[in-house]
Amino acid sequence: MEATKKKKSVGEILADFSLPILLVALIIFFSIMSENFFTPLNLTNILIQNVHVAVVSAAVMIIMISGGCDLSIGYQMSVAAVLVTKLMSVYGLNPVLGSIIAVALCSALGCFNGIMALKLKSHTMIVTLGTMAIFQGISFLISGSKTFHNLPTSFMILGQGKIGPIPINVIVMVVILVGIGFVMQKTKVGRKVYAAGDNPEAARLAGLNVGRIKVLSFTIAGIFVGIGALLLASRAGSADSSTGTGIEFTGITACVLSGVALKGGEGTLWKVIVAVFVLGVLANGMQLINLGTYPQYIAKGAIMLISLYLTNRNMKAM
Amino acid sequence: MEILSLNNITKDYPGVKALDDVSISFEKGEVHALVGENGAGKSTFIKTISGAIEPTSGTIVFEGKEYSHLTPSQSIELGIAVVYQELIQFEAMSVVDNIFMGMSDKEKMVLDKKDRFKRAKELLEIFDAEFSPNDLIRDLSVANRQIVELAKAVVMNAKIVIMDEPTAAITVAEQEKLYKLVHKLKNDGITVIYISHRLSELFLICDRVSVLRDGKFIKTMNIKDTDQDDLIKHMVGRELGNTYPEKKPASDEVVLEVENVTGNGVHDISFKLHKGEILGFAGLVGAGRTELMHVIYGAAKKTSGKIIKNGKECHYKLPSQAVKDGIGLIPEDRKFQGCFVDKPINWNIAISNLDSISGKCGVVNTKKEKELAEKYRDRMKIKTPYLDQLANNLSGGNQQKVVIAKALAANPDILIFDEPTRGIDIGARREIYELMNELAESGKSIIMVSSDMEELLGMSERLIVLYEGNQMGELKREEFTQERVLTLASGIKEDKQL
Repeated sequence: MEATKKKKSVGEILADFSLPILLVALIIFFSIMSENFFTPLNLTNILIQNVHVAVVSAAVMIIMISGGCDLSIGYQMSVAAVLVTKLMSVYGLNPVLGSIIAVALCSALGCFNGIMALKLKSHTMIVTLGTMAIFQGISFLISGSKTFHNLPTSFMILGQGKIGPIPINVIVMVVILVGIGFVMQKTKVGRKVYAAGDNPEAARLAGLNVGRIKVLSFTIAGIFVGIGALLLASRAGSADSSTGTGIEFTGITACVLSGVALKGGEGTLWKVIVAVFVLGVLANGMQLINLGTYPQYIAKGAIMLISLYLTNRNMKAM
Repeated sequence: MEILSLNNITKDYPGVKALDDVSISFEKGEVHALVGENGAGKSTFIKTISGAIEPTSGTIVFEGKEYSHLTPSQSIELGIAVVYQELIQFEAMSVVDNIFMGMSDKEKMVLDKKDRFKRAKELLEIFDAEFSPNDLIRDLSVANRQIVELAKAVVMNAKIVIMDEPTAAITVAEQEKLYKLVHKLKNDGITVIYISHRLSELFLICDRVSVLRDGKFIKTMNIKDTDQDDLIKHMVGRELGNTYPEKKPASDEVVLEVENVTGNGVHDISFKLHKGEILGFAGLVGAGRTELMHVIYGAAKKTSGKIIKNGKECHYKLPSQAVKDGIGLIPEDRKFQGCFVDKPINWNIAISNLDSISGKCGVVNTKKEKELAEKYRDRMKIKTPYLDQLANNLSGGNQQKVVIAKALAANPDILIFDEPTRGIDIGARREIYELMNELAESGKSIIMVSSDMEELLGMSERLIVLYEGNQMGELKREEFTQERVLTLASGIKEDKQL
């Protein structure tokens, strides 16, 4: 009776590692199929192209663990990206100040989503379906359907600079992900987010302020959505109202693939990130082996189903 | 005449024998009780009959035909219906739709609404139901939902109806009605397999009783040839002392004063709770007991009245404030309100008291968390090999202990126990009673809401009876009788002069 840790069964371990196994399998497959795949240049490209996806997927994970779902994330990014690039390129705003504004703005938009869901007593998915349209409108009002180029060099460093051999945006990503992972797994706040999503009624009766926790989750997630917008705009060197749109679905896909529960309360960050790179490697590899656009859709869907099968089959073997 | 027999059934799970060479036979038209503590193998036995699991060895004989195992659809076709403790129903659909759900292939492509309504109404009349076939399931009480399940069994021409803890969640008055329904089924020649932790009711409705213990068959007896103590002896394999342990009387110090509180469906409630007291709340389902507790706990709004704790008026808007102020709640629905079932035990115990186990920056100290969980595991005798076991894998009694530990970890001085022993076996019940007494004797004050009259009378020092949100009366221990409580709970005012 002294033991407090339970050993994991083979099934559980396999379920835990089905995504990494899939990722390795994909990498091996594409390395065989294309000589251009397993090169330092291409691998770095995959990494850099998915930096903002990983950060935003982590934000999506926080929201989903709290029991919510945010469809407006893409347009939050869009609003932040066009605002900051317009301020910098047209009005010559200081990049640091611009970045702070963008992050604060997304955080406010996330907070707005959370408060709306609380006040309207609706599911966040429905509420953000509404706010998505609002943010879309705001984004186009700001951009006037224009693309903003000529960003200050000091801003572009974020997306294109390097420290030694390592791209700065990769460092930023790693720092953020480690931070999010730590907060979600090791701190009081993280615990409360899991509790509020897992069983809101039990959490409420256990004395947690569930409403506040959910709004907080959206607000914090907004910060990372804002950072995602900066990472994307600085790498691309420009932004327009389509910047970031659709990323919520990539994020939700990565989360669901990695076993983040739709009802909330469950999810592990490293698995989400592996899922992001499964999707990233797949997209890159299919391009390299010259698979047409339409077969690419089919392959992407098939890989998703296979991965769900692997995860769930091994879960049952517990 | 024998209708069903299970012969030498064994079910192996990795590491445990859930059933070990169990043989029980059932007669046509009898009410046959199945008793045993949690983990005795009752559910596995039922699942074998309903086809939910395949036994490792043994045979099932139904009306003379032998099967090695049944599939769920086979079992339904043979006429075996199960009314589970946690009813599996289509919440957003009407009573009619639920009753005829499994019958769709025998109906026309386009459903004849009028005919279905008529047939459902006829059925419900047999059961004296007071609701309409068009009512939605989610609007019905647990007792009424059971009626729907029984009606469904009748529609399916069930020959055997298995009832798993049907009286666990319903009131005394509804229990009487349920007993009548069981008799009705029996008179129609239907065999009822009845599972219950409430032994007293078995003597009212059953013909025979079979006892399981640790997966083994102990014996089948005629109910006439046994009594409660004898049954308990067979169930636990040893003699238990008095079910309700003695407790030191409470002090006169008032810790909680509720004055004319109205809101959340209760009207003008006033009472005082003393230090070290166990105060019982009796009433039928819908009497407003849980609703009142939620008002006190800040989980629901009060529209008027005062709640005074330790001489200070409290205005809780959220349970979090009540928890901080030293009030703990053990909610009535263990799985949906009390426990985070898919989280580990230590996680559950810590969740209401994260402050005490985290450092300055809000980082949870896992060592402290483990110590906290170990402390409560030992104190509450939570039976588990690992503290990072999911709460879901625990028996009901141990799950409830985790919920109590969670409330205690926040260090309350007032504890509200809402249906603390629902669906929990005798051994664990007794442990919970002992714990409640121990808590009260150590100076905590306890409010206990229960639909189990015996435990309410056995545990409480005073009893307040509610009826439809109103306070009907207050009884002192020497005034306790089941009749008096029932009279008040049914809304009949007592003449104070008598």
